[in-house]
Amino acid sequence: MEYGFQQLVLLNSADYQRAELPLDDSVSLIAPNNTGKTSLINALQFLLIIDRRRMDFGAHEFDKTRRFYFPSNSSYILMEVSLPQSGTVVLGCVGKGVSHDYEYFAYQGGLITEDFRQEDGSLVTQPRLITHLAQKNRTLFRYNATEFRDLIYGGRRTRNSHEPDFTVFRLEHNSDAQPFQQVLTRTLRLDKLSSTDVKSYLLQIFKRDLPDANIDFKQEWDKAFAEVNAERAQFLAAKNQLNAINKLAEQVEARLVLRGKLIAWCPKINNALAQWQQHYQQEEEQIQIQLSKLQEEQKRQFTKGQELAGQRVMLDQALTELKNKSQQQEELDNQFALVSSRETLEAALNSAQQKLDHQTTLIGQSHNRSASLIQRDITNRKQALQQLQRQKESLADNLYLQLSKHLPPEQLERLNRALSAQVMTLRPEQFKLNTDTLKSLLEETDTLKLPGLELSLSALTAQHQQLGRQALEEQITDNQQQLQSLQEQLETAQQHDQAKIKKHQLEKEKRTCEEALKQYDILLKLRANQATRADETGTTESALKNVCEQLAQSGQLAQALTDRINQQHLALQHLVNKHKIIDRIKNRRTDTDPQFSYLADMKHHPWLAEPEWPLEQLAQQLETYQTNCKTLLEYNQQIELTLSQLHSSGLTKYQYSETADIELAAIINFSQQLDKEEEALDKKARSAVINVTASLHELRSGLHAFQGKMREFNRLISHRRLSDLKIFKIEAQDETQLVEAIDMLIDTAKGIDSGDTFELFNHGSILDNEQLERAKQLLIDEGNARQGLKIADLFRLVFIVAKNEQQPESFQEIDSAASNGTVLMAKLVTGLAMLHLMQDKRHKTRAICYLDEALALDRHNQKSLIITAQEFGFALIFASPSPLTTARYCVPIHQTNGKNNISKTSWQLLEDLDEDSP
Amino acid sequence: MNHFTSTLNQLDKLALLFKELSNGKHINRTGDASLWVALEHDKTLYQSLFKALGFELRFDERGFAWFHTDEISSNISKTSRQLALLFMVIFDTQADAGKPLIHFSDWIVDRTLLSQAFEKHQTLLIAENLDIDALLLLLESAARLGFTQQSRGHWQLLPAVCRYLDHFESLANQQRKDEVQLADTETKEIKE
Repeated sequence: MEYGFQQLVLLNSADYQRAELPLDDSVSLIAPNNTGKTSLINALQFLLIIDRRRMDFGAHEFDKTRRFYFPSNSSYILMEVSLPQSGTVVLGCVGKGVSHDYEYFAYQGGLITEDFRQEDGSLVTQPRLITHLAQKNRTLFRYNATEFRDLIYGGRRTRNSHEPDFTVFRLEHNSDAQPFQQVLTRTLRLDKLSSTDVKSYLLQIFKRDLPDANIDFKQEWDKAFAEVNAERAQFLAAKNQLNAINKLAEQVEARLVLRGKLIAWCPKINNALAQWQQHYQQEEEQIQIQLSKLQEEQKRQFTKGQELAGQRVMLDQALTELKNKSQQQEELDNQFALVSSRETLEAALNSAQQKLDHQTTLIGQSHNRSASLIQRDITNRKQALQQLQRQKESLADNLYLQLSKHLPPEQLERLNRALSAQVMTLRPEQFKLNTDTLKSLLEETDTLKLPGLELSLSALTAQHQQLGRQALEEQITDNQQQLQSLQEQLETAQQHDQAKIKKHQLEKEKRTCEEALKQYDILLKLRANQATRADETGTTESALKNVCEQLAQSGQLAQALTDRINQQHLALQHLVNKHKIIDRIKNRRTDTDPQFSYLADMKHHPWLAEPEWPLEQLAQQLETYQTNCKTLLEYNQQIELTLSQLHSSGLTKYQYSETADIELAAIINFSQQLDKEEEALDKKARSAVINVTASLHELRSGLHAFQGKMREFNRLISHRRLSDLKIFKIEAQDETQLVEAIDMLIDTAKGIDSGDTFELFNHGSILDNEQLERAKQLLIDEGNARQGLKIADLFRLVFIVAKNEQQPESFQEIDSAASNGTVLMAKLVTGLAMLHLMQDKRHKTRAICYLDEALALDRHNQKSLIITAQEFGFALIFASPSPLTTARYCVPIHQTNGKNNISKTSWQLLEDLDEDSP
Repeated sequence: MNHFTSTLNQLDKLALLFKELSNGKHINRTGDASLWVALEHDKTLYQSLFKALGFELRFDERGFAWFHTDEISSNISKTSRQLALLFMVIFDTQADAGKPLIHFSDWIVDRTLLSQAFEKHQTLLIAENLDIDALLLLLESAARLGFTQQSRGHWQLLPAVCRYLDHFESLANQQRKDEVQLADTETKEIKE
């Protein structure tokens, strides 16, 4: 007996009341279209595919499918399989009721349909199945889907001792389970096998035989060059920034020195600062004491100086006074050099007095009237005399007389008020008179109107009085006598004035004599004191000299004191300044930055010992320390800035070092080793080229290997006769552009030296050679688009078909290669060959394959297919509306009460007849 | 419905592909790698989808795809005619220079090559109002249709040009056949 599938039974499932289908040989399943042939075969998916994701029921959704196959908890799909290791076993699937879920089971023994019926003929329900079968001496094992799948594909690792081995499909490799199931599913629905499926399955089947078929070319490529490019970028960044790095190195070195210095100085500074306050107070106190003493001394000295100055002033004054007196005496001596005694002066005085007295008497006797007054009287008297004489001359005829003749008296009176006496006395030749006009002018009582002038006459008096000759002569004589008297008075008056002038002179003389007498008395006194005064002058001068000397000494002393006080002040100021500086720095210390607390732990150069400095120098030292701290911080800042510039310029190689010091040392070291780095880069580049070339080689040889495998596969299928096809094979044809590109790059990489080769493979570079560049770009583009290149990308499957006496033709799609029947055969052969490749040849278990629309095949081809399927280890099930006599079984589907039915009793077993026999 | 939506969502290049293809562009393996890979990956799906929209998506194993229209019924546009002329003069010039036609994608198509072609086919090109600058402009139109692409300062012919090349070859074959037939007829007539 041949091991393998024996029969398939459906109970209350897929619209079958009961279906019993032989699987141990070729079957012609007979029924009109749409009567459940495919449903029957598809039921096998539950037992063979198991994983619902991989099952394929065409357009039907799985939930509907499940309801269709498992409408109740007494719906069964059962298959009898004969296994070499466990004998005949039954694999089954039973519905669980309203949920339309199902569970798997298996037991050892033959498949007897009646075992699933109760005594009343009804089917056993799922909950009672174990008990029921136990009554039939069947030990039933229940499984979930995963366990069941592992069970029949031999993937189960542990098994109970009493549990039989239910493995149906033994595969060469357990990992083939997935493609095997996929191909198997397709084998149940061969019409859907496409060239894409074939390619994918073949790739999976041959996966192990291909050299690292999973190579991700792009990843290999990126990996190989990423490092080199990254290293190169670092190298170039360092090279470009060499000046900055050299400067950085200097700063780092200076910082190391400075750190050492500050580490050494810090305790000294702290110690000195602790002592400073006491030192400062002591120093200040001493200076203050000293200063007080000096100031006291200065005060004393000042008082003394003031006293001396006072004395000097007094002495100066005394001396001046003495000198003045001497000078006065000298002057008086000169003045009275000709005076022999006082009496001379007294006599002169008396004489002067007497003269004065005489003159005073003379003046007292003279008239009181002055000469000028008398002179004025004379002048007036002369004018009056002249007027009288003129009147006398015009006595015969004058203006007044003319007017008095022609004018009424009131008009003459008015006119006399307006015209002077001289006018009235004018002679006839001296005027012209127009009486009428004059009268008209004098009509107004108190007003005289002249052309252009109007005079009021009320305030005026009469100017001219017309005298008679006698009266005139009397008046003339009188005036002449008075004029005579006045002339005499004038002479007398003139003599009186001269006497007065003389009296003034005499008074002055008298006063001069009195003054001279007084001065002479002084002189006499001075002469009397002259000797005493000479003594006094000598004493005073000596005293003054002494005082001046003392003052000079005192000044020097005061200056010395002031200098000393200033010195002390300066010292104090200096001390206070120092204290202020120290205090300021102490309160604003730069070394409060956290890093100074762990400076000693940081990398530094040890600071050489230096002489101790006194506390007085603390301020300077503190300032130096402070400056150094600042410088250190500046270095930090500069170094940090340079470092960040280096980072942004791309030198990030050591960015993630443990500390910045380590990174800096590494960068500096790196910059000093650039020559060696360049060599190392070249080596790495060469190695990257080798890696990429190797992966290209690997892809290329993978393609060759696959093509080799395809030749084996073609040998497997090519000797099956397929309809009228002379040749049927599947070839992996190169994707020319890609393969040529790979070949070109491999060949070029072999041929040129390493430096150029690197550029050849480097993503960023552009090659001079147009074709090489295109080849490279193609691989990069394809690699990007496909997330890596795989062997599968390097070829396409073509189906080569040649009918008898025709040239082979190649087709990309199997469906377009030939007629429907031939295509079906080709698909079947291809699918079976693939399954055959996967199965373990040592444990052959016959399975089934299914071909719908089998009438498309002629009888010859049917037979050929049955044989081919047998050779690959499959029993072929044809489905068609009418029986095919080439099959071993003819199985019709009957319909009873609207349900499909296949009974074992209706199986028709066909025996081969020798066609050649009569 | 969900299945349909999720399937559509998988086709992330659909919009771009439809835009390019419906504008008459050929999608080439060289030059449009990502679009080509998308088409190749879901070939059946795209073909069905575009078919439902009334377009026939055709693939050529030499690495290009396009929306096929029945050329007999469609009017050949001026551009199409001029492109045929352009490719013809390029192929002719290169063939005369002994360059294998099948490697046309390796050629450097630039002003120098176009000048040579223009010199050789001056009469023909002038009749079509085409000078060298017009030919360069035509290469740009060809780029929009997926026949050429610009690369490093010159033009490169893309696999889709095979459609023109095939056409030229069939015309040449037809011509040869006609000549043979004519020669046969003449021989026959002479014999008779």
